[in-house]
Amino acid sequence: MSVWTRIIGWAILIFGLLYFFVPLSGLFEFSLKARRGVYSFDAYREVFADPQFQATFSYSVMMALVTIVIGILIVVPTAFWVRLKMPWARPYVEFLTLLPLVIPAIVVVFGYIRLYNTSSWLPLTGSISGTNALLAFGYTVLALPYMYRAVDTGLRTIDVATLTEAAQILGAGWFTILRRVILPNVVPAVLSGAFLTFAIVIGEFTLAALLDRPAFGPYLQRIGANKAYEPFALSVIAFTITWACLALIQFVSRFSKAAPARH
Amino acid sequence: MSFLVLDNLQKSFGAIQVVKNFNMAIEKGEFVSFLGPSGCGKTTVLRMIAGFETPSGGTISIDGRDQSRLKTNQRNIGMVFQAYALFPNMNVFDNVAFGLKVAGTPRAAIEARVKEMLALIRLEHLADRYPYQMSGGQQQRVALARALAPKPQLLLLDEPLSALDAKIRISLREEIRQIQRQLGITTVFVTHDQEEALSISDRIVVMNAGRADQIGTPSEIYNRPATRFVASFVGTLNMLDATVVDPAEHTVRVGNQVITLKETLVGKTAGEPIVLALRPEAGSLQGSGDTTLKGDVLSSSFLGSVIRTKISVAGNPVSFDTFNAPDLTMPRPGETVDLRFSSGDLLVVRD
Repeated sequence: MSVWTRIIGWAILIFGLLYFFVPLSGLFEFSLKARRGVYSFDAYREVFADPQFQATFSYSVMMALVTIVIGILIVVPTAFWVRLKMPWARPYVEFLTLLPLVIPAIVVVFGYIRLYNTSSWLPLTGSISGTNALLAFGYTVLALPYMYRAVDTGLRTIDVATLTEAAQILGAGWFTILRRVILPNVVPAVLSGAFLTFAIVIGEFTLAALLDRPAFGPYLQRIGANKAYEPFALSVIAFTITWACLALIQFVSRFSKAAPARH
Repeated sequence: MSFLVLDNLQKSFGAIQVVKNFNMAIEKGEFVSFLGPSGCGKTTVLRMIAGFETPSGGTISIDGRDQSRLKTNQRNIGMVFQAYALFPNMNVFDNVAFGLKVAGTPRAAIEARVKEMLALIRLEHLADRYPYQMSGGQQQRVALARALAPKPQLLLLDEPLSALDAKIRISLREEIRQIQRQLGITTVFVTHDQEEALSISDRIVVMNAGRADQIGTPSEIYNRPATRFVASFVGTLNMLDATVVDPAEHTVRVGNQVITLKETLVGKTAGEPIVLALRPEAGSLQGSGDTTLKGDVLSSSFLGSVIRTKISVAGNPVSFDTFNAPDLTMPRPGETVDLRFSSGDLLVVRD
């Protein structure tokens, strides 16, 4: 490699890092300015002391976990079945799972409210638990593109058809095959899908706001509209959480015990 | 009553019929090989026995029980796959224990049985290894142990040696045969390698285009091939075009040389063209033999333990092997030689 290509490479890298970190450091710097004249963590202290923050954040974490479980239960068997028995359907299923990226969340939630309002055949919005369920299903839809892609890619690394046959001839039924053979072999993929889901759900605003649930997204918006420094502190916190998620994905996929089989 | 009975088995994929009227009865404890080129339907028959494919017609019964209503996981069959198919997330112990766990065997019994199986394949020391930490031969032995652990009534081997290198292939096939004899388990082995089939089978089914061309012991298949396909697929064979001279006297003419066959020529008329076959090891230049054919040497190659000579007998190329000896002079190309063999070695080939 010549000196010039090296220099250009480094220049591009540095430019990228600056592009990313300069606004962020501005954000961080501003969030420390709650006290006049000196840097302090006052804004952060405010945020963490706010019972609303704790309540909404733990609500969103809970919702994220529920969403992940529903997502796994729907996506893993579907992706498995499509790979095994209906390979011709793959492009269609893939298209279907991409729809949430095209259809705005606002459209989805209005559809939900129309379909499941209190005068409908399934009045989910009539109760808190019903609305929570609706929200979790909505989140599952939003996370579908990421979850499906991750799991499908994971399935590509194993010989699904032969492993399934090997398990069948040893007496296993579909449930056992999924739980003991397929799922453990796509754990890193499922986890990366799960963390993306987590990140999406934590910051999601539209669904939670329109279904009027006390989630973190609407709280973030409310604080942003009413306070000066706290929203920036919150943004930094949100960034940190997202990065922690991404780091976890890296960690899990690198140190997972079930290394893929050699082919 | 035979143990495994395949009765008039058929399979079509769309308009293509891959298995046609396949009939076979396999006795308990027998080791049977399905031998044929790729696409002959041998794997499809095996997959129908396993329940992975549903027959388009005919029945499969094991121990008198019709299998058509049973799903794969209800059939109690062990199977070894070409690609090993060990579960990558489990170590050797858990792989072998899988079938037993699924069946709900008590923990202590599982432990004992897995130990027994690992001892059988001599891999007790690798119980904690994961599949990706082992060689192909070791993985395939684990796959065999896994298939045998739940005490299946039948063992299916789908080209289990094809992915392995030559040396391991030979040692593992001997090991498989020895374990099969020890357990007395009825086994169906699918292969496209004739040497493999000849060396370990009780009986061989030679399959061609969805049909069983011949079913017989390895020596029957090799020495008395029923069809031209079997003759050419199993071993190398020289084909000679000949004409019947006198069916009553078993005489035929090859070029302008008349020879007498041992085999009868029932249903043939004088002047009818027929095809004769001769194994390369049946002919020699010096040896005894009641029949002689003259030919011109085309080539002669030294292969170490044997010398392979190719001669032309009335336009038919004939190869034959002779054992090497230090004082042997190799025939030179262009020379005219006498090829001697026993008339009993000459087969009449039917299509």
